[in-house]
Amino acid sequence: MAVFRRGYQRYTGPLVSPWQRLLVIPRFVWPRLLSQRFVVVLLVVSLFWPLACSVFVYFANHLELLQNNGAGPLAKVLAINGAFFSVFMNVQSTFAMILAAVAGPGLIAPDLANNALPLYFARPLSRWTYILARMIVLLSILSLVTLIPGLFVFGMQASMAGWDWFVAHWTYGTGIALGFLLWMITVSLVAMTSSAYVKWRVVAGALVMAFFFVLTGVGQIVNQVLRVQWGSLLSPGYLMLTIWGRLLGVETPWEGGPDATECMLALFVLIGVLLAVLLRKLRPVEVVS
Amino acid sequence: MSDFIVFKDVSKFYGEVLGVNRVDLHIPPGITSLVGPNGSGKTTLMNLMTGLVHPGSGTITVRGLSPFQPEKLMRILGYATQYDAAPRGVTGYDFVVAGLLLYGYAPGEAERRARQAIETVSMTQAADRKVAAYSKGMRQRIRLAQAIAHEPSVLVLDEPLNGLDPLVRAETIALFRNYAAEGRHVILSSHVLQEVDVFSDQVILIANGMIVAEGEIKNVREEIHEHPSQFLLHCQNPSRVASLLFEETHITEVKLDPEGRGVLVLTRHRDAFSEAVQRIALSGVEIDGVVPTDENVDALYEYLIGGGR
Repeated sequence: MAVFRRGYQRYTGPLVSPWQRLLVIPRFVWPRLLSQRFVVVLLVVSLFWPLACSVFVYFANHLELLQNNGAGPLAKVLAINGAFFSVFMNVQSTFAMILAAVAGPGLIAPDLANNALPLYFARPLSRWTYILARMIVLLSILSLVTLIPGLFVFGMQASMAGWDWFVAHWTYGTGIALGFLLWMITVSLVAMTSSAYVKWRVVAGALVMAFFFVLTGVGQIVNQVLRVQWGSLLSPGYLMLTIWGRLLGVETPWEGGPDATECMLALFVLIGVLLAVLLRKLRPVEVVS
Repeated sequence: MSDFIVFKDVSKFYGEVLGVNRVDLHIPPGITSLVGPNGSGKTTLMNLMTGLVHPGSGTITVRGLSPFQPEKLMRILGYATQYDAAPRGVTGYDFVVAGLLLYGYAPGEAERRARQAIETVSMTQAADRKVAAYSKGMRQRIRLAQAIAHEPSVLVLDEPLNGLDPLVRAETIALFRNYAAEGRHVILSSHVLQEVDVFSDQVILIANGMIVAEGEIKNVREEIHEHPSQFLLHCQNPSRVASLLFEETHITEVKLDPEGRGVLVLTRHRDAFSEAVQRIALSGVEIDGVVPTDENVDALYEYLIGGGR
């Protein structure tokens, strides 16, 4: 056997933090996403409603402008409360779902199609890191239509209404943040799972939308056929609206049915199942089954 | 820390499909080639040593590190798969830089190392072009660049010579030799058996998920006692030499070389053959030289796995 002397020096210098490394994975995704015209249009359109809500908040805090201009009756219905933020979140969450359906399918499918996963996992990266890195792409783009406008509208209201209003209603802010975060995580996981299993982008996008509508339909069928109410736990929309209602202190439109705690548990189960399904697909090498 | 790559009784099944079965290996630094037919388990062996798949049973250590410690292992290991996996639209330079950033190098250091690695594989001029526009050989080289950019101690390359032109192939082999001379592991698989024969320090022959031979090519050959060795005797009077050799009991076959260089001899006993040649030469029959004709991997391959290719 040949004898070799070690004739090289390994790098012993400083390394950047794991968080900085995490952002390397999506570095090529951003330009690709923002080069899609539909994504840009959707982003712009989704900001109309927050803009309208900002105007609403402005007038609600400047009622004298309406009264001076003969719109006094309108001033009476302008109230910034949990219901207002709930409607805001409902509208924006729909945009978030559509955006995830458009942007999500291009995240993982190309890596699987190119056999790129061994390339990633031959680095000091775990599957969890990879999922987190991919999810950061979706979370950040969804934040542009959910979290950021939501907190902006809340911040605007708080700054106009004053400190007393903020002290009394700070839970709206945490409700918006937590509620949107749960929704973003859910739709991101659905979009990523869909991307991992379906390589055709249009089909994968349709699958994301179908996931929410089909599950809601199945939940309703369960309720009707079995004459129960727990079937609603299958509906992601029902889960989110119930949780948001609790977070914002708003009554949900339906009577009876699973409460917010049960919905939260069901949502965690759903997230767990999505993660398990995603992890099963994200293997560094193709495994014969 | 051990400087060896060690497989102890490693088996890997994909469901009911055999990947590798009861593999025991002790791979020293240097160039080691995995040789075997398609589906024989070469890539599975590579994936096992890089931790991309985990064994169903047995243990693996790579220079003392377990593949279950990817944070540590991947810092000393560079892997180039046989697939083109660069993101769409990315340039060769960005591809290599991105890999280094994933290792945690600061941007400046990553850029410096990327330029260096790209220069090593002679891709500097094409570095800023998109990988999608590269030829097969260029993609092969850029994959090699991303595998060596962080100066790994263990370089694992899946069919790294595919698609390379002769000049680049020679440069790449020289690079492997330099790496090996520095005490690193260079593990590679190849279907071009003659190339492997030329530059490998040792070969691992694998068929149907099992190791059929392991070691230096010459040693592996010597261990195959049951199969005769073939020699070419360069001589002026082949017919006379052939008749003399037929009298030896260890000779199993003698035939005239179709290219007219002398006599092709098959023997089961190398030492006895050597003595016989000496006797013939001393008897006055002129023998110009004796050349073993099957001490290459191709011949071994044929012997060991026969029609498996």
